[in-house]
Amino acid sequence: MTPAPARDLLPVVPVALVAGGAMAAVVATSLGLMPLYGQPEPGTAGWQQVAPDLGPAVRETLLLALGATVVALVVGMGLALVLLAGAPLVRAAALAVLAVPHVVGATTVLLWLGDGGLGARWSGAGPGAWPEIVGGGWPVATVLALAWKESAFVALVVLAALAPGHRERMETAATLGAAARHRWLRVLLPTAVPALAATGLIVLVYSIGGYEVAWLLGRTTPEPLPVLSFRLFGSIELLDRPAAAAAALVASALALGLTLVAVAAGARIGRALGAPS
Amino acid sequence: MSTAVSTAVSTAVSTAVSTAVRRGAAGLALGWLLVPLLPVALWAVASRWSGRAALPQQLGTAGWVSALEAGLGPALLRSTALGLAVAAVATPWGAWVGRLLGWRLARHPRLLVVALVLPVLLPPLAVAMGLDVVVLRIGVPGEVAVLAVLAVLALPYTAFTVAAGYARLGPGPEEQARMLGAGPRAARRLVTWPALRRSLALAALLAFLVGWSDYVVTLLLGGGRLVTLPLLLGASASGAGNEPTTAALAVVAASPALVLLVVVGAVLRSARRSAPRTGPGGAA
Repeated sequence: MTPAPARDLLPVVPVALVAGGAMAAVVATSLGLMPLYGQPEPGTAGWQQVAPDLGPAVRETLLLALGATVVALVVGMGLALVLLAGAPLVRAAALAVLAVPHVVGATTVLLWLGDGGLGARWSGAGPGAWPEIVGGGWPVATVLALAWKESAFVALVVLAALAPGHRERMETAATLGAAARHRWLRVLLPTAVPALAATGLIVLVYSIGGYEVAWLLGRTTPEPLPVLSFRLFGSIELLDRPAAAAAALVASALALGLTLVAVAAGARIGRALGAPS
Repeated sequence: MSTAVSTAVSTAVSTAVSTAVRRGAAGLALGWLLVPLLPVALWAVASRWSGRAALPQQLGTAGWVSALEAGLGPALLRSTALGLAVAAVATPWGAWVGRLLGWRLARHPRLLVVALVLPVLLPPLAVAMGLDVVVLRIGVPGEVAVLAVLAVLALPYTAFTVAAGYARLGPGPEEQARMLGAGPRAARRLVTWPALRRSLALAALLAFLVGWSDYVVTLLLGGGRLVTLPLLLGASASGAGNEPTTAALAVVAASPALVLLVVVGAVLRSARRSAPRTGPGGAA
């Protein structure tokens, strides 16, 4: 049943073509080599055009992505503990939230926290008195919308990591004299950490590259990288396309760079703890 | 005797407190997961909800009527077709890769995994933006380009789901079928695939949801012709004063999740009722 070596990687050739071809085209577009119409004009004009906006856009992107990741991990771990104790309705709700499109999550947060939303109505805030949670100075609404959906994802993955053998591990630790606090800190948490780290990385990378939530709920300046990139891409000025591609490349580099750092750090920590390579 | 009574009372109190804490935590968890959907549910049945009124002043179907006028029907059909098409491509593709991974048949498993995961690490916007120019130049229809990108994005989910199924099953049953005289195709069709039906169904569901939920790839590569539910919802939500329409669109866009909530909730509750009682689980 061993396939020929050449057939080994055959199923991922289309993946490499689509992803590799797309990224090569983005690089070429950012350097003026692939205009929509007309002759190529090689250069760094696109990069120079978008350069002043890149710093604030990277900061905004990291702010909302790190915020969403931290909230999703904390809440997701709490949800996993609830699920571990056996809560069928909570598990069904977590699965349902996982299946909700991100644009629905953004919409419902908008209808809660926007001016004229349910929060303003139920708090009795007068016109103009409701704080700018949507589109305000801090990306609170964006973070909450992302964290809401991703916390369900974190919970289900951490539950899958914790559930097998959980009762036996905890009973063994109790038999050996570990107090409840020590059972949590030295048995439960270390079992959950690899799943928390993996899901945290996935949430971070998704939040860096996600468009629709930040577009609906974020402030207009500074824009996160995907929103900046999409706005420039849709501009009627065709010369904005290289700048859009440059911003998209920075978002890609940020996501890939953080992944490489996290994977390298994870491998180093694993080696230090004596995990098999 | 009094010591025994005291111990029994202490145990009963401890159990009651533990149950109350567990129920409270479950309530909080349900609140976090479901309360955010409340305004969508309220606006979807509101015909008039003006000013700062706490609740709708008039119930009705105004939002649904305007959502239908805005193109809810065709968008629903397009979203369903897109989800099914992504599932139809990504599920067999994922089964192919899943077999290599699950039964450790790949000679370069790490390379295979990296190639699978890489597109998910890249922002979908960047992938779609890069392909936009390419498909325009070589004349590929936008719908085909959307399907290709979403199938690639769904592949890691389907491949790893089916790989887990293959790993659980092991190659034994298929090998036995071969020894009994079945050809390779017959052994897969009659033995392996039926045994993997749950993994394949879950993989298909995940791939469907990738297609159903997508926003930015469809927006960029669809060229404005492929108006799916998320696109219609995004356009409505970004405007002002059309909350009933937005809520009606959001309810339909969330319908697979609502179906999942009802079905999985019923299945889990009935499984819990029929399972033998072994005492409280307890997280700690």
